[in-house]
Formats: sequence, structure tokens, C-alpha cells
Amino acid sequence: MSMSSAGAAATAAQRPAPRKGARRDRIRLFQEMGMLAPAVILMTVFLIAPFILSFWTAMTNQPLVPRPTPVRFVGLANFIRIFNDPLFWTALWNVTRFTIWIIPVQCGLAFLTALLLHQKIPFRNLFRGLFFLPAITSMVVVCVIWATLFQYPTGPFNQILGFLSFGMIQPIDWLGDPNWAMFSIVLLSAWQAYGFQMIIYLAGLQGISEELYDAARIDGANALQRFWNVTMPGLRPTHVFVLVITTIQAFKLYTQVAILTQGGPKNSTETVVHYMVRIGYEEQKLGYASAVSVILFLIVLVIALLQRFLLRRYDV
Amino acid sequence: MGKRLLLASSVAAILAFSASAEAKTVIKMMHQGDPGWVAAYGDLAKRFEAENPDVDIELIYAPHDAYNEKFSAAVMAKQLPDIMELDAPFLANYVWSGYLAPIKDVIDADVLSDMTESNIAQGTYAIDKQLYAIGLTDSSVVLYGNRKYLEKIGARIPKSVDDAWTREEFEANLEKLSKVEGVKWPIDTFRGYGIKTEWITYAYSPILQSAGCDLIDRKSWKSEGMLDSQPCVDAMTMMQNWVNKGWVVPQSSGTNQFYAEGHPAALALGGHWFYAEAAAAMKDDVVVMPLPKFGAKGASPDGTWIWGITTASKHPDIAGKFVSFMLKDKAYRDYAKSQSAYPGLKSFAAESPLYAPGGALAVAFEQASKTAVPRPPHPAYPAITAAYMQAVDKIFNKGDVKQALSDAAQKIDEDIADNDGYPPFNGEQ
Repeated sequence: MSMSSAGAAATAAQRPAPRKGARRDRIRLFQEMGMLAPAVILMTVFLIAPFILSFWTAMTNQPLVPRPTPVRFVGLANFIRIFNDPLFWTALWNVTRFTIWIIPVQCGLAFLTALLLHQKIPFRNLFRGLFFLPAITSMVVVCVIWATLFQYPTGPFNQILGFLSFGMIQPIDWLGDPNWAMFSIVLLSAWQAYGFQMIIYLAGLQGISEELYDAARIDGANALQRFWNVTMPGLRPTHVFVLVITTIQAFKLYTQVAILTQGGPKNSTETVVHYMVRIGYEEQKLGYASAVSVILFLIVLVIALLQRFLLRRYDV
Repeated sequence: MGKRLLLASSVAAILAFSASAEAKTVIKMMHQGDPGWVAAYGDLAKRFEAENPDVDIELIYAPHDAYNEKFSAAVMAKQLPDIMELDAPFLANYVWSGYLAPIKDVIDADVLSDMTESNIAQGTYAIDKQLYAIGLTDSSVVLYGNRKYLEKIGARIPKSVDDAWTREEFEANLEKLSKVEGVKWPIDTFRGYGIKTEWITYAYSPILQSAGCDLIDRKSWKSEGMLDSQPCVDAMTMMQNWVNKGWVVPQSSGTNQFYAEGHPAALALGGHWFYAEAAAAMKDDVVVMPLPKFGAKGASPDGTWIWGITTASKHPDIAGKFVSFMLKDKAYRDYAKSQSAYPGLKSFAAESPLYAPGGALAVAFEQASKTAVPRPPHPAYPAITAAYMQAVDKIFNKGDVKQALSDAAQKIDEDIADNDGYPPFNGEQ
């Protein structure tokens, strides 16, 4: 409805003779501005303005809720305090660790299942649906279920391990042992989220022309050679894309930690976002928490740019 | 014509609806609690509405673990309820921030005169000595024991707060219990509640106070030099040793090991509310003992979730009427009793045989007058408890005790400095 009326207006504007060109341009400009306006306004109100505001808030001692003490401009004091807080560095190291672990696990799992489901197997679409199921399950629900699986010392995982190893492996305190907690979170996060990457890989695989495989077959390439020389190069842009989004997602790790470990034991699962929420909501220091968010933004930006730079020749 | 009629009648309907909604006074009440309590509040609201047809009670539930966060969100959104449930140690922060109004004038006089001393104490703001909140209950923590195991090691069972176990006696019993067949863990300190729970400060800080130190100096309101002092380091090292020796139920094993099949935990450092579930499963095998003395004097926690009326309420008188109604309501009291609630009103104590002399939890009631130490009534309390929780998590996972405590003390003092000492708590007027 609005589309067709806009179109009618455009043809009406085009009809007058060239001497009215200036007026026509102005009308077109208004039309373009009008069409841009909704997006620009929404982006400004919900993205750009809050972003600038958080920069500003980061320079003050703004509390979460109004307090009788005055709000002051404190300059870079919040940033200095963050850099002097060992917990922040622990949190940063933890998300780095998490990212390094989860990329091979999650992307590998996604890649393998995508390869499998790309074959002409019976009930292919059913399996695709089943494998995608965890990704559409709420992370909160997944966490609650996995908490039961991880239970110490009598949870299912420990019982299975004990059974398979004939009791050789002692029960592991998956979420309660500082050495295991982050690894356990990697396992469950990879399982929950790999479906998304799997879909991207499937799309990538379908995008590789069948003719390339036929040509390779005629040249006498076996399955492995076809995989290395046709599939892998054809998936390069997909690999880069998956790597970048998985990294960014991994740096924002929060839900699993908030539900399962609250950053413990011994801060072994404290993450930057959890640290930020803890300071902002529990300690009610909004200014300080905003400073953390600004730093997190810069870190993610740098990593994304770095990845693009390093992988630029694969051209995404 | 037909359209116009429809329009007119729908406008009339909307007007009528809004008129009827306006005639009713809406009282919003924010609360937390287990499903049983939530149901009890729902029934309570219905009974009140039946008696007061012009009032509509709207219940807003917020989960226990994130209650303060939800409350902050309500403050930011200017959606403060009329009545709010609050955890007693947070009262100073809420009053200082200006969210709570004095309630003495809006609560029925017979309810006010019915309050026990500890109930008055938990609802009073230290600066102006006014009452800002009231509850039906108070709380305490006791040491639960499994009678069979205690008999096996021939442990002395204290009868009153005055003959509580000493630290030496307590640790010797833990040692003996660790060797009894069937005992997997000598004690459950309810680490299963998590590392981000008020339970930690509530249940473990009395151990510090009994050992001769505290979370913060209550005169100078400085934590450095107090929380990281030698008595505190010793006390937390003692707890760390229990954990290291495998004496304490780990966090991942839940909160039911005391009465779970086979009774794997021999003792339980648990809240009064734990009695209901433990006794239901173990009957007479549950022994209730006072908290051990870890130093010269005993200490026990107090304070619980109580009701305040916010400064945002337009009808504090009706809100007060509802709170008074709640505290006197028989069915509500009956439900509280079924949860082994700790009485905070004298009349409620009189109808709670569990806490009367000779009752199973008499010792818990005795602690209130002899050893109870409230958590620091200071507006910095949210920061104090958050810092202590973090320290305990580090200590229970083999962290350096002195380092963990001095980090926490520093965080607390930093928060107080950030807020200019929370005047007038810094002595300024």
C-alpha cells in the first residue's frame, strides 16, 4: 500500500520537464531522507545514543539507582581501577581461554555434522532438524538440564565415566572444581550453540557447484582429494565468517556462568560480561560497569578487525 | 448507523471499565519466596480483598537470588511497589537511599506492641531510630546433628546455648564423625545454596564474630584492619581446613545430604527453616544444637525477610492495613508454622510450640537473646556482603586466606569512600 503510493509519487515527480530539475532533485532528496528516516532514527535512539551515553557514564561515578550522594565527573578513574583490578584480568583471561577452547570444539562439531548431513542419507531433513534442536532450546533450560548431568558425585556423567573405566576414573566435580568448571561450560555451550554454525556450513556446502566435483572425479581425484581440493577451498569464506561470529559470541559469555557457577569456583569462570553485570547490578556502580562495557566493545572491535586483516585474502 | 452504535457502546464500555478500575485502590506488593509462600500470599490477598472490596492487591514476584537486582530495576523504571519484602540487613541501604517510609503510624498498634525485641531491631534504622519494616518472623541458624552418628562417637549433646560445643570439641567431633561408617561428609554448611547467596554472609559471619572479629568495624565503619585481622584469618583458615579435609559437603552435591538416602552428612549448619524438611524425613533422629563457640563468646545470626512500605506509595495507610492484616491472619500463620517459621511476634511465639521451652527449636529461640549479632546495619551492606561472598569462594577453593580477606576489606572500604562515607554514617550531619 505505502510502497505503491511512494512509487506513484516518484513517477509523478519524474514526469515534469527537465527545466524543473532542481525542484525534482529536492523532492527526490526528501523522498530518500523520508525512507531513510525510520532506520536512522531507530539506530540513533537504540544504538548510537546509548553507545555515546555509555562513554559518558563511564567517566562518572553514576550509581545504578539514585543515591543521596552527588554524581561526579571522575575522568578516567573507572578505567584505571578496572586495569588495577586483578579480577578483571582473570575475567579477560577466562573468556580468552573459553574462546580458544570453544572454537575448535563448536566449529569442529558443526563442520562434521554439516558434512554428514550434506550426504544423501535417508531421513536427511529429519536429522537436520534433530541436530538443530539444541540451538532453538533456551540456554537457561539447557543449563538446568546439564547441571543435573554434571552433578557430583552421582550425576549421569560421573556414573557413565565410572562405568566405562570400570571405576578407575574418580567422580569429577565438573562445576565445583576450578580446574574443570570452565571446561564443563565449554562442553555445554558448544553442544547448545553448534546448530547455528552447522546451518551456515550446510549453506556453504550447498553453494559449492556440483560441476567442480564432477570435474575432479574425471581427473581421478578420490574422496579425500576432492575434500581437500574442492570442499575446503570452496568453504573458505564460510570458515572465516563462522570463526568471526563464534569469537564474538564467545567473548560475550554470560548466561551459562550466571546460572551455573556465578563466576566461581575461585573466579575460574568469571567472564567480562558477568563481571560487568556484577559490578553494575550487585555493587550498583553504573559508571564503573559502563567503563567495562566500553573496554569490552574495544576488545571485540580489535579482535574482529584483526581477524579480518589476517584473513583478508580469503575475502568474505 | 450500525457502526456508530457499535462505537458508542464500546466507548461506554471502556469508560465503565476504567471507572470501575479507578474506584478500586491498587496496592502493589513485591515479594520473593518458594512456591508454597507464593501461594500463601495469593490466598492472603484474596482474603483481604474479600473483606475490603474497594482494594485490589497486586502481587509482584521476584526470585530470591536476583531480588535486589529486580528491586533496583523497579526503582530505575519508577515502578516501586507500595509494599516491598526486603532482607533485613539491606534495610539501612534502602532507607538511606530514600525508598522506605517509617511505618509506625500506619501499622495497627496491637501488632506493633506484639513485636519481639529482635523483630524491632531488624526493622529499625540506626540513624533516626524509627521503625521502617516489620515481619511475622525472625530467623536463626543452628547445628543439626544425626542422633545415631552422634551416639556412635559418644558426643555430648548440648542442652542450651550456655553449654554449646567449643571449637576444640566441635573439630574433634568432626574428626571422629569422618571415620564413622556411612558418613560421607561430617558436615553440610549448605555450600549448595551457591556462591552468590546471602546465606554465606548470614551463616558464616557469626563464626567470625564468635572468633572475635567482624566483617567491618562497627564504630569507624572501616573493614581493613577488621576483616583481615588475625582472628578472622584464623577462623577462615579453620573453615578452609574443613573443606580441604573433605569434611564439608561440596557445592555441587545439593542441599539435602543431611537427610538424603543413607544420611551421608552427619551434621548440618542450617537455618531454622531446614528443620521442617529434615524432621519430615528423619523424625526423632534430628538433634538441634546451638552454634558452637569459636572463641570467648558465642554468636548467631538473625534478621529475615520483612515488610516495608515505600516512599512511592500513594496509599501508605491502606498498605499498612494490608501488612497488619497479613501479620494477624490465622491461615497465613498456620502456613508459616508448617515451614518451622521462627516467631517474630510474641503472640505467634505463644502459638509456636516448636520454639517454646522443651520444643525442638527452643535452642534457636534462646540464641536470639543470648548470642544474636545482626549483620552490619550500614548502607554499604550490599558491597560488604558481595565482597565477603567472593572471599569465601576463594578460600573454600584453596585460595590464600589472608589475601582473600584483605582484598574483600579493601573492596568494602573503596565502596564506602566512593559514596563519601554514606553520610551521616561517617559522623557528619
